Amino acid sequence: MSLIVKRITKITVSLIFLYGVYIVLHGHITPGGGFAGGVIIALSFIHLVLAFGKEAALKRLNETAVSAIESLGGLLFWGIALLGLLGGVFFLNILPKGRIFHLFSSGTIVLCNIAIFLKVGAGLFAIFIALAAMRMPAEKKEGKK
Amino acid sequence: MSIYILCLILFAVGLYCLLVKRNLIKKIVGLGIMEYAVNLFFILLGYRHNGQAPILDKEQAIVNMVDPLPQALILTSIVIGLGVMALMVAITVRLYEKYRTFDIGEIRRLKG
Repeated sequence: MSLIVKRITKITVSLIFLYGVYIVLHGHITPGGGFAGGVIIALSFIHLVLAFGKEAALKRLNETAVSAIESLGGLLFWGIALLGLLGGVFFLNILPKGRIFHLFSSGTIVLCNIAIFLKVGAGLFAIFIALAAMRMPAEKKEGKK
Repeated sequence: MSIYILCLILFAVGLYCLLVKRNLIKKIVGLGIMEYAVNLFFILLGYRHNGQAPILDKEQAIVNMVDPLPQALILTSIVIGLGVMALMVAITVRLYEKYRTFDIGEIRRLKG
């Protein structure tokens, strides 16, 4: 990509990432949540791939790390659901709820949002890498057959 | 009522694109249009004239809100649509690598 795209990307990628984190952490009091914030954060990494090529993005977050983060998100969500069994019911919100409309409120909802954000963000980025950047090894494997 | 018929027309546009076009990418776009038409229909079912956004807020009283249930349902539908779209694009990429074309008329080795 051209110099203009690279400069603008360097400025905006961190802002997009920060906005995604904001959307995730405020998911229980404003519109948004784990899925929307995860998509925004995945888009910030996709932005990096589009501007600098896949090496620059994979240097920050390689495929094994993406796979591990995605699995971690699923396990974390499952663990939060199991945590409710301590109170007797699956998915029970056992943490203190706090005051309504405050950032530290609503118990396990924030943790659920963070787990969903890990799963969705890593999953979308993995889909994009697999579709756009990982095609050469697949062709080689096809040739060997 | 007419707005639901417009939804149906949008769905029909997607169905036409899916059935008539021969390019695989255009078929995927057609399926996406159909999916969005159905999503729009469900959102419109829960719409209320001059309704407020269904968000609990400090200054906002709970009066005349639109129905939040279809919106929560459609969020899940959008996620599933994303997964289906990714699967279709992946299969199309593999087909293109094998046959070097997007035209389903020329992909003949799939027939028995």
